[in-house]
This record gives sequence, C-alpha cells and structure tokens, in this order.
Amino acid sequence: MLPKYNILTEEQVQMIHDESIKILSEVGMEFEYEPAVEVFKKEGLKVEGRRVYFTKDFIEAKVKLAPSQFTLHARNPEHNLVCGGDNIIYMPGYGAPFIHEADGTRRKTTLQDYENFAKLAGASKNLHMTGGTMAEPQDIADEIRHLKMLYTSIKSSDKCFMGSAEGRERAEDSIEIASILFGGKDVIKEKPVLISLINSLTPLKYDERMLGALMAYAEAGQAVVIASLVMAGSTGPAAMAGTLALQNAEVLAGISLAESINPGTPVVYGSTSALSDMHSGSLSIGSPECALFISASAQLARFYGVPSRSGGGLNDSKIVDAQAGYESMMTLMAASVTGINFVLHTAGILQYFMAMSYEKFIMDDEMAGMLLHYLKGYHFDEDGLAYDVIAKVGPGGHFLTQKHTRKNHRREFRIAELSDRNAYDTWAKEKLDTNQRARRKWQEILANYVPPAVDAALDQKLQEFIAKRTQELM
Amino acid sequence: MSAIFEELKQAVIDGDEDITAELSQKVLDEGINPVDAVQQGLIKGIEIVGEAWKAGEVFLPDVMMSAEAMKAGLALLEPEIAKLGISEGEAKGKIVLGTVAGDIHDIGKNITGAMFTAAGYKVFDLGTDIKPEAFIAKAQEVGADIIGASALLTTTMVGQKQIIEYLKENGLRDKFKVFVGGGPTSQAWADEIGADGWAETADDAVQLAGRVLAK
Ligand code: B12
Repeated sequence: MLPKYNILTEEQVQMIHDESIKILSEVGMEFEYEPAVEVFKKEGLKVEGRRVYFTKDFIEAKVKLAPSQFTLHARNPEHNLVCGGDNIIYMPGYGAPFIHEADGTRRKTTLQDYENFAKLAGASKNLHMTGGTMAEPQDIADEIRHLKMLYTSIKSSDKCFMGSAEGRERAEDSIEIASILFGGKDVIKEKPVLISLINSLTPLKYDERMLGALMAYAEAGQAVVIASLVMAGSTGPAAMAGTLALQNAEVLAGISLAESINPGTPVVYGSTSALSDMHSGSLSIGSPECALFISASAQLARFYGVPSRSGGGLNDSKIVDAQAGYESMMTLMAASVTGINFVLHTAGILQYFMAMSYEKFIMDDEMAGMLLHYLKGYHFDEDGLAYDVIAKVGPGGHFLTQKHTRKNHRREFRIAELSDRNAYDTWAKEKLDTNQRARRKWQEILANYVPPAVDAALDQKLQEFIAKRTQELM
Repeated sequence: MSAIFEELKQAVIDGDEDITAELSQKVLDEGINPVDAVQQGLIKGIEIVGEAWKAGEVFLPDVMMSAEAMKAGLALLEPEIAKLGISEGEAKGKIVLGTVAGDIHDIGKNITGAMFTAAGYKVFDLGTDIKPEAFIAKAQEVGADIIGASALLTTTMVGQKQIIEYLKENGLRDKFKVFVGGGPTSQAWADEIGADGWAETADDAVQLAGRVLAK
C-alpha cells in the first residue's frame, strides 16, 4: 500500500477544525426535525427554536465515540468490507435521473437500468459493492421505489448494498428487509450490513427526511455516511478554506447526532463539495477545486479518526470523451491517493451527477482497476527486486525467456481490460474508440453474468414483506 | 437631472444596493420623475450588466447583485409611480417563481429570478417547497403573466403538473403562462404536462418568455 498523501499541514488541519467549531458554536445549525432537536437539548446544548449551538467539548467528545473502522457485512462473506484504515471501497454512481447513451442521446432511467448497474458492479473485479440509487427507477411509483431497489440489489449480487435515506419510514423498510436477509435485527445491529447516504442541507441545516433516516439507522446500528455538498460560490463562500470549514462543521454536527443517539454508530465522514461555475451557476465536479476538497476531506477524516467518503469518477462531460476521462481520473486518483475509504460515484457518472452511462461505467471500472494496482505500489521482496535474474541475464540479454518473468509478470503488471494497446493496423481494422469498446464490453458482461442465487425460503420472505408493504403504501 | 440617472445606472452596474437606494430616495426627495429614474437609470444599468454577462465579461455574482440593487431601487420608486398614477413604462412582464412542494433546491431558481430581473421583468420569488395553490394565489394577487416552477427531483416534478391541473380545475388555465425548469425536467416533460414553456438554462428561459409573451 502506498502511504497516504496529505495536502494540508497539521496547523492547517487544526485551523479548519477551529473555524468549524467557531461556526458551530457562534452561528449554530438548524435541524428541521423535532426529535433531533430533542436529542441535542437532552445533551444540554443551547437551542433556540430549531437552531442548535454546539460546544467544542461536545463535538470532540462525540466524534471520539465513532469507530475508526468497521466491517460492513455482505450476503457472501467473501465480499465483507472493512471501511476505514488503508482500505478503499469503490462502487457505482448514485442518484442520476438520466442515462446518456453511447451516441449522446439522453433518456430517463428505469428499474432495468438499476438492475443492469447492480449486475455490472456485481461482476466487476474492481468495484467492491453495488451501491444505492444507481439509477432512479422512474418507471416505478415513488412510494415503493425503495422496496424495488433493495430487492433488485439483493437479487443481482451478493456484495454489500446501500439503504434508502429518504426519510424514517423508508429507512425502517430498508432495515426490515436487511434483517430478513441476514437473520434478524439483533444480528445486523452487531454486524452492520447497510450503509446509507445522509446529506446536510448546506448551508448549516439538516432537513426532516435526512434526519429521520439518520436516526433510524443509528438506532439500528447501521452505518451512515454523513456528507456535505457545498457548492463554493453559491451554497458556500467563494473561498476554498472557508468552504472546507463550512463542510466540516456540517459533517461534525451530523456525526455528533449519530453518536448521541447510539454511541459507536459506524459513521463515515463525507464530502462532495465542489464549486458553482461562475458563469452559468452549474455545479462543476470535474475540477481541480473538487479534487482539493476530496483530498482535504480524507485528511480531516483521518484527523478525527473516522473513515472518509468522497471522490469518484467525477466529471462534467455529457458523453464518454477525453473530458470525461481526464476529469474523472483526476478526482478518482485524488480520492485514491489521499486515502478516501468509501468512494461513492466511482463508476458511471456524467454531467455533474445528472446522468449515468454504461460506457462511462466500464471506463471508470478500468480506471478503478488501474488505481487499485497503483495503490499496491512496489514489491520489495526477493522476486520484486529480482537481483538473481538481473545477474543471470547480464549485460545485453533480454528477460522474455526467463522463468522469473513468466512467474512474476502477473503479480507485477496489471492486464489492461479496456485500454487498447494494439499496434496501429490491428486497431485500424475496426477503429473503435473507448466509447465503442466500452459499449461492446458491458453488453458482453451483462449477457454472461449469472447472479448468485438467493436462498428460496428467504426470497419468499422478502417477497412477502415487499408485497405487504406495497399494499400498505400504494 | 441626467446626472442622477447616470449615477443610478452606475450603482446598479456596481451591484451596490445601498447607493442605489440612497439615490432612489434622492429622486423622490427632489421630485424627479420616478419613471425616468427607472427607465434611464436602473434599467439602463441592468441591461449593460446583462449584456456583459452574455459576452462573458462579467459573472453570475455581478448579475445577481445588480439585480438586487435594481430591486432595492424599484422598491422605493414603484410606490411613488403608482401614487402618481402614471405608467411605469414598458415593464416586460411579471413572473411568479418558486421551487415546487417537497423540493428545497433553490440555486437554479434564484439564478433564473435574477436573469428575469436583469431582463426587465418583475419577479416575485416565493422561495422553496411551494404548493400549487400558493403559486396561483400569488399569481392572482400580483396579476402575473408567467408562473415559473423549478423542480430538481424526479419525485417532485409532479408538483409542476399539479400547478397546471390546479389552474384547469379552477378555470384559470388561460390566465397565466406556466414555465417549468430544473435539472431533471425536459421539453418532453413540459409537453406531457401541457406547460407553456421549458428552458434548460435561465438565459434560455428569459428568451423564451420574450417569445411567448409576444404572441
Ligand atoms: C446542490 C444540490 C443539492 C443541495 C441543494 C442546495 C440548495 N440550496 O439548492 C442539497 C445538498 C441540499 C441537496 C439535497 C438533496 N438532493 Co440534491 N443536488 C444538488 C445538485 C448537486 C446541484 C443542484 C444545483 O444547484 N445545480 C446548479 C443550478 C444552477 O442548476 P439547476 O438547478 O438545474 O438550474 C438551472 C436550470 O435547470 C434552469 N432552471 C432552474 N429552475 C428553473 C425554473 C424555470 C421556470 C426555468 C424555466 C428554468 C429553471 O436554470 C438554472 C440556471 O441555468 C444536483 C445535481 C445537479 N448537478 O444538478 C443534485 C440532485 C438534484 N439532488 C439529488 C438528490 C437525490 C437530493 C436529495 C434527495 C439528497 C441526496 N440524497 O442527495 C436531497 C433532497 C432535498 C429536497 N427535499 O429537495 C439528485 C436528484 C436525483 C433524482 N433522481 O431526482 C441530484 C440530481 C443529485 C444526484 N445524482 O443524486 N441537493
């Protein structure tokens, strides 16, 4: 593993922390959910209406209660994930309402898209889990989308998946479904299986739905990513350090709530802060500013001793082109080398979170594979230093016929899966660019993928629960 | 007298709310024609900023602050214009703007509002999480030409449809043009729900309003 790269000095980290505490204690934050306000009141904090004023001691004591790492359990224990430490978890994009096709046309997302991305993530060597709203299933009634998405995640792969963050009720449904699958609420309370994305309402607020979900998950001992997305220049100041302090304040407040409800709740420090383009106002995520926020977030999370979430294959492009590639590599690499643990949006995102693309998914999967290899760094053992074979070949020879080469190259080198390393004429037979090659590839993967079966009795129970809830909700 | 118009114009260009308000007060105190102050001062200033934004010479914060400055001036001058019973001149139109129920995304709506202000429209911004009946109540109160509804979530877009349904149910459909916008919306969606206009950007929305209201 490569050492993690820090972009801030220790003094700068301390300054951001102090600024955040100043924001939290002097400006305070608003919580649009009475039960959350009650929790803070009980903790003895100053509350005016829905505005809560924090203290340095409170924040620091609560953040200490959060585990520095935790295991997220999968249906197949081989896919259990440790979140925190040196580990990195890659997964698909989240929340997009559109699919951009290979030719640049755009259409609405459906449940079939959700299933396809779950399968592609299930089949991937580089993506560690499937994720949450990989594509918003707009062909399904809003009331029951969360049920369909969870069931589809379970049926499509045996890797870890995410729960719904859309309010307390949907969080409780997610917990119920997970406990059917894993053998009861007490089992999953001991061994968390769900992780969900809780967002602040920047600047300095949390809304009712997010707080309801946060509280339900914290009570059930499930993991939550507590994230802030500040758009510097519009929902935050046009100042990088100030935006970081604002984001940090919001995340700290969220973590303190989770730890007040259930000390030891597994939390992840989350950031997707970026900037508003100052001409159009649109969010820009494929930017150096975003890479700076990603990098500093990894470092702040380390400072607090909690796992981090940020980054991904982030970009503002509309199609798989050079821009999609260079922007995504910058943000995915920033996340990877600075030590982000949980990389939501690793694969598939186009146009500042507005779209998913199958071709982009495959390109990002390749980048994830490249980065996983990069992160392993060098092997400094005997085979890695290879003195014997260097001596054996001596001046002027070559290594292609050496046993050492045959034995070691697979460990030392990564085999490219999407990149074209052919000579010109071979390539020129079809002249396929990345976009076209990726299109072929995902179609092939989907055609060949066999989802790991779910135990029939469990499946029956899941279906019964979903049918019952569907009736209640529709 | 034209000196103060020039100063008003400059104050709007500078996006300076305080000076714009001060100068507008001076217009009132000195009995200067408020319509001329609006036309030759405030509007001239905002037009220049709007053009400069299109040309990429100034940025969003410049336009938005100029729009705020202009509003501060109008807040003082308009009551006087109304009192005198004279016409304000060719105000382009009135638009009631808001983000639909269940949705709190407001940056795109705010930008849209500023661009309409900059183009000489009167904008009534209701804020976020707005129910259909609140849009319509405000539109009736101010005699709006356009109702503009922003939605950023696929789950709240239905709020835009509900506005149109509500208008129909109350026999008001032909009273207002309904514009919809926001990330997940599209021309296809606007057609499906029978909206009068959809635009992908705030700038396009203003152009569209010009075309629709000219009809
Ligand atoms: C910033 C942001 C937030 C901020 C909002 C802060 C604020 N004060 O507005 C926060 C963090 C609070 C937030 C919360 C949520 N968000 Co949000 N958010 C965004 C984000 C990243 C940017 C939105 C934005 O401001 N864009 C910049 C502006 C300038 O663009 P715009 O709004 O589209 O406006 C332009 C045009 O559309 C047009 N326009 C806008 N309004 C109007 C109106 C009219 C009449 C016209 C003609 C034109 C017009 O003009 C504008 C300027 O050109 C988008 C993704 C994206 N890139 O858009 C997600 C996004 C919209 N959010 C999303 C989601 C899911 C949520 C949450 C549910 C939580 C979550 N899990 O992230 C909550 C919902 C809260 C709620 N109840 O509304 C999803 C929606 C997915 C879907 N399937 O519907 C998106 C797409 C992100 C994603 N991929 O997950 N969000």
